Amino acid sequence: MDSLGMLLHGFGEAITPLNLLMAVLGALVGTLVGMLPGLGPTSAIAILLPLTTVLEPTQGIIMMAGIYYGAMYGGSTTAILLNIPGEVSSVPTCLDGYPLAKQGKAGPALGIAAIASFTAGTIGVVGLVFFAPMLADQALKFGPPEYFALMVLALTMIVNLAGSSIIKGLIMGLFGYLLAMIGMGPSGSPRFDYGNQTLTAGLEMISIIIGLFAITEVLKGLAERHAPVPTENIGSVYPSAADLKKSAGATIRGSIVGFLTGLLPGCSTAVATFLAYDLEKKVSKHPEKFGHGAMEGVAAPEAANNSNSSAGFIPLLALGIPSSPPLAILLAGLMIYGLQPGPVLFEQNGSFVWTIIASMFIGNIMLLVLNLPLVGIWAKITKVPFGVMAPIILILSIIGSYTVRNSMFDVFVALVFGVLGFIFHKYHWPVVPLILCFILGPIMEQSFMQSMAMSNGSMLIFVQHPITLAILIAAVVLLVVSIGLIRRTKSRVKEIVGEEMVIAD
Amino acid sequence: MQKRKLFSLAASLLLTGSLLAGCGDAKGGSKDYPTKGIEIVVPFAAGGGTDLSARAAAEYLSKEWGQAITVVNKPGASGATGTDAVLKQGSKDGYSVLVHNVSSTSALMGGKSDLTFSVDDYQFGAQIVEDPLAFVVKADAPWKDLKEFADWVKANPDQLTFTSSGPTAIATFSLVEFLDNVGGDFSKARMVTTKGAADSMPKIAGGHAVLAIQGVSESAVIVKSGKAKMLGIIAKERSPYFPDVPTVEESGLPPMKAKWWSGVSFPKGTPAEVVKKWEDALKKASEDPAFQEKLKAINAQGAYLNSADFGKFVTDETAHYTDIATKKGLRK
Repeated sequence: MDSLGMLLHGFGEAITPLNLLMAVLGALVGTLVGMLPGLGPTSAIAILLPLTTVLEPTQGIIMMAGIYYGAMYGGSTTAILLNIPGEVSSVPTCLDGYPLAKQGKAGPALGIAAIASFTAGTIGVVGLVFFAPMLADQALKFGPPEYFALMVLALTMIVNLAGSSIIKGLIMGLFGYLLAMIGMGPSGSPRFDYGNQTLTAGLEMISIIIGLFAITEVLKGLAERHAPVPTENIGSVYPSAADLKKSAGATIRGSIVGFLTGLLPGCSTAVATFLAYDLEKKVSKHPEKFGHGAMEGVAAPEAANNSNSSAGFIPLLALGIPSSPPLAILLAGLMIYGLQPGPVLFEQNGSFVWTIIASMFIGNIMLLVLNLPLVGIWAKITKVPFGVMAPIILILSIIGSYTVRNSMFDVFVALVFGVLGFIFHKYHWPVVPLILCFILGPIMEQSFMQSMAMSNGSMLIFVQHPITLAILIAAVVLLVVSIGLIRRTKSRVKEIVGEEMVIAD
Repeated sequence: MQKRKLFSLAASLLLTGSLLAGCGDAKGGSKDYPTKGIEIVVPFAAGGGTDLSARAAAEYLSKEWGQAITVVNKPGASGATGTDAVLKQGSKDGYSVLVHNVSSTSALMGGKSDLTFSVDDYQFGAQIVEDPLAFVVKADAPWKDLKEFADWVKANPDQLTFTSSGPTAIATFSLVEFLDNVGGDFSKARMVTTKGAADSMPKIAGGHAVLAIQGVSESAVIVKSGKAKMLGIIAKERSPYFPDVPTVEESGLPPMKAKWWSGVSFPKGTPAEVVKKWEDALKKASEDPAFQEKLKAINAQGAYLNSADFGKFVTDETAHYTDIATKKGLRK
């Protein structure tokens, strides 16, 4: 069946009541966490990860994907109303969004943001429909050496996800891999178990993720104390025809920038939004208006944000490469279901993949519906005190880590990693490289061992297979390009915010 | 926020609730067993063949007995973790039950000498499901049947690569048996270690490894899609799902013993009446068309064996695999 036929089939699946409910829930939760300072999509997906033990794969992933792209919508609200970028990628939205809000045009700015997000999200998913199967067609050509090369490519991502220091990122990556080695190795013998039966089963991925993201979040909240944020009257959210006309071009250009950077595995969303904002300023006839309330300045980065997040699903589903922290956790979700992303996923679980893609179309429509009329209500939710949230997050984390294997040991692991995560955060050690290596390291090792079995121990197998060689070369090129882009974005952030900021944390 | 909290809370309550249902502590005589909920431990992750057959049985029995039967997955260490949890730490009153398969039992005990349990710790209940093993190769592989393949293996012993989930997995043991039968050389074969069928099938179809030996149910999807083919199956009769694929004997080769099975067992010391009750109920299930229909959905074949036959079979199989593993230097 061709992509379109598969997509239609996917729509049929996606509109079944339960799947629809999951898409709505995901979009809702996503919008909320995007707005709540201190609880991002990464932690939200981490907290809900144990639900994978009760939900079917399709429903679980639909919900998590919804949280992911929903958060991109939510982020714009706090950026425009309160000048608080939930994440670094929302910084450009603040630049013109907040001035607009001060001029009493908060409503139209939010409206434009939502419409740009919707357009871009849809463009991103359309791109996903066309690009992903092209990669997936090569499915069976991907054997162990090809997967090994893919993992090398994926691990170059550490550079992008490392935040302030690449060295720290690499150290954390190695630490993550070391943790992954605990338990049964690929040859079937236990490693680092110190003669302990519990350790031979290895550390549970979900416990570590819950610890590092959810429990750490609680500790951070207790230590840092979030001030309650004031909300004002925002006025009508429906932008005027003139505003729409002004921002149409910006939306399209932003979408394209976001999409292309999303295709490059390892371009963080912040890179995309800054590029889009700068591009818009360059092509504009009134560059002097930027920073003082230009609608285009809201539309472009918001569009880039959303098409980037949809495009991120292409390397994730087709190659198994997560380009952002929430996608790394989503990758964990897929692995828990035994769905190893990669070309073979389309081959073996085509129906699953297309249902997810179809649900993203539906989710984007829902987000538009949720965001336009309800944005005022959402804004009030930013007032929920942390004293209420913290215990709930903690309880859910403990129950969640227990239920995966019904083991108290896993709860203990989650708590230990919660404390560790807090210490890492305090001293600016990035945790995403740790998770990335914890997830991908064992796959890399396994495919290395498999390749060695195939070639009878000859390393030449990695250069003799054309696909493998091409991927390895691509990894080197991407590494160079992304280091350049990160440098550029960092200096731009510094210019605007006036201080060094961690691009991906 | 409210909605998310409510939803997550409801989900967690549901989870804890279902767990608690499995660990009540009311005392009851074994005569009127079961008087409370039963916990079935599956030593593998949810969704695999063993898990699905355990869930099918749990659903049938909970209706039959009017008690809640909860399936709990305790994966890890090739099944040793969950097995230890029941045999060594479980209660001996029939409320702690293990649903296990060949990989977590005979193959595991054959391959490893340092486990916390041995065949003497099992009170065998009954075999539930059998899944014949199939020889699977790439769709356009040059061999028409198993005989041709056997000749090729003999002529090119160093070209055989095979997928298996480890040195002591059922695929490895059956390849040893096959090669010994046809005069091949196992020491020259190279194992591509995979994480089970979902991982190994694409490697066969893509030509990254030559041979997979695995259950018919696990190979069904990719073989039916035309990307891989079955040369033969290890069984006395052809599989109802693939009636065109000959058995090993029909291919003119010596018969083989290896098979994939799953069954139910208890810790040693569980009362005989309880075991009898499970035997009878599972026998009844094996004659129940609705239960059979469930198994068909997962491409598995119901194959009831009573406690004595099942126990004897597993004990012999364990001795056999221990012997093979020792001889080939696979036992650790």
